[in-house]
Amino acid sequence: MPGASMISESWLWAGWAAAAAPFAAFGLILFLLRKRPGAAAAVSLAAVAISMVCALYLLICCVDTEVPLRSAVTWMISGDTVISAGIHLDGLSLLMLAVVCGICLLVQVYSLGYMAGDPGFARYFAFMSLFAGAMIFLVLAPTVVQLYIFWELVGLSSYLLIGFWFEKFSASRAGKKAFVMTRLGDVAFLAGLLLLLVRGGVMDIAALNSGAAGLSSGMITVSAVLIFGGVIGKSAQFPLMTWLPDAMEGPTPVSALLHSATMVAAGVFLVARLFPFFSQSDAAMVFLLAVGTVSMLMSATMAMVSRDIKQVWAYSTISQLGFMLMALAAGGYFAGVFHLVTHAGFKALLFLCAGMLIHALHSNDMFAVGQGGARGLKIPMLCMAVGAAALAGIWPFSGFASKEAVLATLANLENPAWLIAGLAGVFLTAYYTFRLVFILVFPAGQGQTRAKDPARGVGYAYNAMAWPVLLLAFATLVAGFLAAPVRHWLAVGGPAHEAVHGPAWLAPLSLGLVFAAIALAWAEFGRKNASRSGFVERVPVVAQLFARRWYLDDIWGWAVSRLLDRGAAEACRQSDNRVIDGFVHSLAGAAVASGRMLARGHRVMIQARLMIMFAVVFGLTCIMLIWG
Amino acid sequence: MIVPYTHVILLAALLFWAGMICTVLRRNLIMLLLGLEIMLNAAAVAFVGAGLHLQQIEGQAVALFILAVAAAEVSVGLALIVCIYRQTGTLDPECIESDACELE
Amino acid sequence: MSVYSIFFYLIAAVMILSTALAVTRKNMVHAVLFLVISFLASALLFFLLGAPLLGILEVVIYAGAIMVLFLFVVMMIRIRAPEGSGFLLWHYMGAGGLSAVYVAACLLLIRHAGPGTGAAMAAAVAAPADFGQYLFERHWLGIEIVSLLLLVALIGVLHLGLSRAGRRSGKGGAH
Repeated sequence: MPGASMISESWLWAGWAAAAAPFAAFGLILFLLRKRPGAAAAVSLAAVAISMVCALYLLICCVDTEVPLRSAVTWMISGDTVISAGIHLDGLSLLMLAVVCGICLLVQVYSLGYMAGDPGFARYFAFMSLFAGAMIFLVLAPTVVQLYIFWELVGLSSYLLIGFWFEKFSASRAGKKAFVMTRLGDVAFLAGLLLLLVRGGVMDIAALNSGAAGLSSGMITVSAVLIFGGVIGKSAQFPLMTWLPDAMEGPTPVSALLHSATMVAAGVFLVARLFPFFSQSDAAMVFLLAVGTVSMLMSATMAMVSRDIKQVWAYSTISQLGFMLMALAAGGYFAGVFHLVTHAGFKALLFLCAGMLIHALHSNDMFAVGQGGARGLKIPMLCMAVGAAALAGIWPFSGFASKEAVLATLANLENPAWLIAGLAGVFLTAYYTFRLVFILVFPAGQGQTRAKDPARGVGYAYNAMAWPVLLLAFATLVAGFLAAPVRHWLAVGGPAHEAVHGPAWLAPLSLGLVFAAIALAWAEFGRKNASRSGFVERVPVVAQLFARRWYLDDIWGWAVSRLLDRGAAEACRQSDNRVIDGFVHSLAGAAVASGRMLARGHRVMIQARLMIMFAVVFGLTCIMLIWG
Repeated sequence: MIVPYTHVILLAALLFWAGMICTVLRRNLIMLLLGLEIMLNAAAVAFVGAGLHLQQIEGQAVALFILAVAAAEVSVGLALIVCIYRQTGTLDPECIESDACELE
Repeated sequence: MSVYSIFFYLIAAVMILSTALAVTRKNMVHAVLFLVISFLASALLFFLLGAPLLGILEVVIYAGAIMVLFLFVVMMIRIRAPEGSGFLLWHYMGAGGLSAVYVAACLLLIRHAGPGTGAAMAAAVAAPADFGQYLFERHWLGIEIVSLLLLVALIGVLHLGLSRAGRRSGKGGAH
């Protein structure tokens, strides 16, 4: 069919355009437009808009296709192993492509306002383009190798963006921390990849998913667990979770992007991408389930005592990512991916709202922001309430639908402990979300400080920030009803999955828990004469434990200083000093000494010696020829 | 059909002899180095001729190494000569014998 | 007597003649120029003996680079005093003795020559591609060692040049 092939040709072109545009923008800004911030922003926005249009076009067209489309060139041939690079279009990648492009576009529009006047405006948009481009290529990758390359590129660009205000010590430190901690996981990821390459020789995602590699089950488990190491690092799961809360040192739009559609989403995306491969190993899936559960509960407790708005959202991101991993590990492909999509929307919304408040009131502390007159800023407060409701999982917001899907998946497991853990997570999530909302809306000394300056923040910057936020709030409202189309999209070229229905009592139970948690939060933070301290804070030991992030940072710090600094580094230094340097020094000394000795013998007329040397050589030749 | 192998070797031997005489009988360090070059070149000629005689490419490989060694040798040698000249003001090999031209 | 052998004897004559002239010149510039002719002739000889790549390298490295280096140094060091001619008598006698030993060795070598050395050699050409492949298949270690040698020579020359420059500036610009 020539017609069909032409159509698919145009799809591939659209896919390539979507992937290449942000990279082109990155190069253009970096090399030509560094001194022209306005043009840089325009180029970057145009590139993301092109990607967005292509993504939407592809998403709408692709519904009817049966086979995933692919355009790849051979990149490397080594023996029997052929590694290709290109783009791979199927339901999952196109859905993620649309989410990534959409969030990137909105965040970049928002950044026009948020970053206005920053000296690094052009640099910021260059990095944003790089971030978007890397994530798009990651999402469209047909092989694990390409995925890994852009996975690292995503890590690099997030490092650049977290440490964007590098003159601030804490920012550069947070960037380094994010880079190093995710790299720790990536080492495991790379080891898993190499294991796959050596044992299976297959790097193609479709081939891996169809089980063509012919690996033994033990090998699948080992490589899957190693690859999960990368997921744990990237998606900030236990025990590599502490980089994400620190990553809020970057500009808030960066946090919004990082937490919703790009950086941390890459980890969950990888699990979804290789879902059929991973599900061949039960042990690996149980491991993933345990990691997700532990991270979800731990970070939820951390969020309960934090005073920093962005930090609360950061903890909630870890918690929700854990939730997604639980869903995927429990076999709920659709539930996990759908929660990833809805979470991308409402988490971006929450961060952008927080950014507006912080931008207007110049504080990260939720109590200070509340007293500073957060109520007066209607748009961010309303939208944040919408996002919070979605995060807590209240009908009809998007979070409700996806959360119910996840819980239904968990309910179908044999062991009820996972479901109980999930429900506990739902309760805690609702509690800390509305704790924050109530603190913002009902500040302690309400009345005297309320709405000091109603006109504050209104202007170009405010408008540029308000539109994306409103759009995201709208998306959050409707996304919950898109479960059916998302299910349909995911069926294109994805693993087979059917709708999972939990027991009938599940939805009322979880909603009841949510409202109980909101009531608790109201009683502690919302009432007229509430104590304004959570039930956790009455037990100082526990509060301290939660606030110090379960001492994870301290454990890491101890491990690094003891094992790495004192142990390995010291040993290396000693061996360098004693063995290597000593050897080189003695070698050099020996050379100098022998040179001195020989020089003494050479300080005579050389030509006489030359003559003797020649005579001896030819004399020896003669002797050898005569008697030899 | 070219010439016999003996003739090539004879040519190389004559060149070598010229180089040897140059190194031994000229009172000039640069000429001494030049003689070394002539000898190295003679060796290369002999190797290429032997390669052709034995129908082996090996001889050419060795000749190539001779070329590289000659390049290295001449650069270091000339640098040393310039160094000596700056210190002693002469290129006479005899000067190295006397105390006045002694190297540091 | 084929065209090849006529070429060979012509080239051999040019080489011997120009080398002899180079060795005996008082003026070093002339000596170097005669030697250039000798090396160009030996490049031709390499072509004749079936080593085109070596011939080109001979032109580039010997006649080009090395001789130009000599010329530079000769021009740079303008010798004031003429070359001290003459050694003691024993020196010339020594040279004569050395030549005698050398000739003896050569004659012995010719007497011990293997079979077929007197017959004319068959012409053969090693194509540069084959030569390169052979070199990198069989002599990769040698190539590495030679490249290391060149690096060492480079560093040595730099060291000599730098220490000289330092000493000169220390003396206050004697140049």
